[in-house]
Amino acid sequence: MKTLRAYLSTLLIAALVITSLPVAAAPIAPQSMDLVTTQSALAGDRAGADRERINNVLARADVQEQLLKQGVDLNEVEARVAALSDAEAQQMADQLEQLPAGAGVIGVLFAVFVILLITDILGLTDVYPFTR
Amino acid sequence: MQRLFKNARFAGVLLLALLLSACARSPVLLETTKASLTPQTELSQVPFYAQTEYQCGPATLAMVLNHQGVDTSVEQLIPQVFLPGRDGSVQPEMLATVRRYKQLAIPIRGTMDALLSHLEAGDPVVVMQNLALPAFPMWHYAVAIGFDLPNETLILRSGEIERHTMSFSRFDATWARTGRWGFVVSEPGTLPDGVTARNALEAISAYEEIHGPQAALSSWQILVERHPSNAMAQFALGNALYAEGEADGAKQAFKQATVLEPSMGAAWLNLAIMQLQQQNSDEAREALIQAAALEGEWQLRAQQLLDEI
Repeated sequence: MKTLRAYLSTLLIAALVITSLPVAAAPIAPQSMDLVTTQSALAGDRAGADRERINNVLARADVQEQLLKQGVDLNEVEARVAALSDAEAQQMADQLEQLPAGAGVIGVLFAVFVILLITDILGLTDVYPFTR
Repeated sequence: MQRLFKNARFAGVLLLALLLSACARSPVLLETTKASLTPQTELSQVPFYAQTEYQCGPATLAMVLNHQGVDTSVEQLIPQVFLPGRDGSVQPEMLATVRRYKQLAIPIRGTMDALLSHLEAGDPVVVMQNLALPAFPMWHYAVAIGFDLPNETLILRSGEIERHTMSFSRFDATWARTGRWGFVVSEPGTLPDGVTARNALEAISAYEEIHGPQAALSSWQILVERHPSNAMAQFALGNALYAEGEADGAKQAFKQATVLEPSMGAAWLNLAIMQLQQQNSDEAREALIQAAALEGEWQLRAQQLLDEI
């Protein structure tokens, strides 16, 4: 997977360099008439468009790899990555390990049980509804 | 040695007391909010699905999506949002999954006032809590469906409890540990009352990324209606209208964006490009001069276009 990523990034950089070459060779070539998208305007002063595109593709490849590692079904991975906005894909790529994962009420160690029982009674936590 | 131990114990007790009192701040509910809310609200029509194992993410999504009239189920949502390796679901995917069902997922302002106002307006709110302590977190999603102001309790569909009532202070303590994270769901073309312009902008933009500008157009229109002085909303509307082929409307929206915020280089640039496409080189030059004078990432492109005219 790591090597795939390395290949992919080399390929992307090469592709982007090649596509931008004609512009460098002939500076009088007409500019693209594409409008600035809402998404890039919202992203504010992030780095140049090319670098952004590379980052997005890599981030999505990264997220896909991580989701597979976390046991997500192969058939679902692509749709799940596609549903993320660029900003969310970046966030997942950068910090999936640290993101809190909502799971709900689950069993805890005994020492922790006592502490949480006290904090529950104090009204600071909500682990054991029977405290009320 | 004995004394040192005693001192250490004393310090420990003191520290614990300090920590606890620091956590136990009473929730801030503005007097104005208290005065404007009805005493009791409960969205009892929100369906309930008890979570199994670690599936509170899929269960909460099924509740709010079904409440919106979307056809889905917990079983269908599990492979879409649950992360087996983490025994849970993460926030970006919660929002993304809502969008897969062609609904907007809009984060709310993280205050009790905002939460209660959304409930009164009839919108159930998905909230993330840490039910335990920061050191041993127990992350949890639930759906807030109502409140009882005189009793200061919040009503939630939570875990295996269909109607979980919880004091404002206890709820706020558990909610604060997630940075008071929560979101409401709405049909494209409608906006829940009370969401901020910025949160709506980002939610609609994310929706547009996946479903395209045509599908987002009605949402941009309602956003502009709701926040007529928001330049970014006008700009976004311009782009969606342009994608729809409505050149005049798009130009008008970009123009309006530059009027509302003359320092918005992207709006000047898009206006100029549209003028160029329509062969209005004088108007295009005017807009490009404005865009090229503004420092930022659009300056270079504006200058290049200006040189070409």
